[in-house]
Amino acid sequence: MKKKNQNRIDKLLELPQEVYSNVPKIVITGFDEMIIENFKGILEYEEFFVQINTHIGIININGYNLTLENMTDDDIKVKGKIESIEIERTIDEN
Amino acid sequence: MFIKIIFSYLIGYIRIKVEGYYIERFINICKSNKITIWNLKRNKDICLYLNVRINEFKELRNVARKTKCKINIQNKKGIPFLLHRYKKRKIFIILLFIMVFFIWLSSNFVWNVDIREENGLEIENLAQDLENAGLKTGNLKFKINTKEIINKIRLQRNDVAWMGIELKGTNAIVKTVKANEKPEIIDESEYCSIISDKAGIITKINAQTGTANVKVGDTVKEGDALINGWMEGQFTGIRYVHAKGEIEAKVWHTKHKKFLYSTTEKEETGNVENKYEIKFNNFKINLYKKLSKFEIYDTIETENKIKIFSDFYLPISIVKKTNKELNEKQKNHTLEELKNIGILELQEELDKEIENKNSIVNRNINTHERRRWS
Repeated sequence: MKKKNQNRIDKLLELPQEVYSNVPKIVITGFDEMIIENFKGILEYEEFFVQINTHIGIININGYNLTLENMTDDDIKVKGKIESIEIERTIDEN
Repeated sequence: MFIKIIFSYLIGYIRIKVEGYYIERFINICKSNKITIWNLKRNKDICLYLNVRINEFKELRNVARKTKCKINIQNKKGIPFLLHRYKKRKIFIILLFIMVFFIWLSSNFVWNVDIREENGLEIENLAQDLENAGLKTGNLKFKINTKEIINKIRLQRNDVAWMGIELKGTNAIVKTVKANEKPEIIDESEYCSIISDKAGIITKINAQTGTANVKVGDTVKEGDALINGWMEGQFTGIRYVHAKGEIEAKVWHTKHKKFLYSTTEKEETGNVENKYEIKFNNFKINLYKKLSKFEIYDTIETENKIKIFSDFYLPISIVKKTNKELNEKQKNHTLEELKNIGILELQEELDKEIENKNSIVNRNINTHERRRWS
C-alpha cells in the first residue's frame, strides 16, 4: 500500500523511473552502441556474447566485436556490432 | 566520462592484459571495489584487455590474485610516464628551459612600433621623433615611460592633438590624432600694403583701408603694389595703416608641355619571381643569391615581421622581394592623338590651380609641331 502511494507521488512529480528505483534503463544508439544504467553485474563476457545482470532480470546481447567501454558504478556502455538483444525476467512485477 | 579519461591521462593509466577463467567475476569485483576500468576488450581466447589508472593498479592486482588471474602490463600512457621518460634526457630539458627563458626574455622588449593615425591623416617624421623620445624597437618594455614620451612629443610638435601609447605584448601601438592647423592670425596693428602675386588686368578694386594705387583697367605685373598702406589726410598728414580691400582681376593661367611622337611604354608581362630574405634587425641573410632572370623588371619589397601570437612580435622579419618582368613597347602617335592627350592632361592640371571655374572668361589652346632630326 505504501509503495503504491509513493509510486503515485513520483508519477505526479514526473520523476524518471530509473532515478528512484532499481529499474534498468537501456538506451540503444544506432546498432553499434548500447548504454545500460542501473545494472548489477556482468554474468558472462565473450567477444560475441554479453550477459548483464540487472535487478529485475538478465539482458543478453549477441553480436560480434563487443567491447565494454566506460564501466562505472551504475552504468555500462557496450560497443560493437549488436545483432540481437534478449531479456529474461527473473521476478514478476505484478 | 570524456573528462574522466582526460583526467586519467593526467594522472597516468596503463593498459593491462588479464588472463584467467573467472574474468566475469574479476570485472564484478572491480565494480564493487569501485575501481574504474574502461575500454574492456575480450579476445577470442581467454585474455581481456582493459585500462586502469595507476593509483588503482595495486588494488586491481589484489583482485586478480583473488580470482587467480594473470596480469600483464601492455602499455603505459599519461603524463607521469612521459615525465619519467624525459628524466634521462637532461640536455633536452635544459634546452627547453633555456628556450622558455629566451621567450620570456624577448617578451620584455618592444619589437614593433605600430603607428595608427586617425582618419588616415599622416603625420610626418613621427616615427623619427618617437625614436628620439625613447620608443625604439629593441628597448626594454618596463623602461619605457609612455606618459613621458607623450609629453615630450606633444611639447615638440604642435600638429598632434592627442596621442596614446599602448604596450601590447612586444608590440607598441601608437594612436594619434592629427591636429587641425591653426588659422593665421592677422595682426592688424602692423602696417602693410597689398601686392599682387600674378600679372593681370584689374576689373574691380575696393580699398577699405589704405589708398588704391591702381585703377580699373590697369595692367599690373607681379610685385606691383595694389593698395598702399598709408592714408593721407588734409590735416593729419600721412598715416600708416594696415591695408585691406577687395580686388578682382583677369589673370592668365598658362601651361605648356612637350609630347613626343614615339614613346616607350612599360608593360607587365605577368611573369613574377619571388625572393626571400631573413632580416634580424639590420643583419640580412639572402636565401636566393642568383641574379634575376628577367632583363627589365620592377622589384617590390614587402617586409613581414614574425609574430607568435597576435601581439607578440619577434625581432626577425622576412623580406619578400617580388620581381615583375616588364616589356618595353614602342608606341607611335599621330598629331591628332597627341593633341587630345595633351589637352586633357593640361586641362586637369589647370583645374587644380583655378579655384572658381565659373568665372573663366576665355580658353586658348595652341599646338605647334616641331620636328627634331637626328
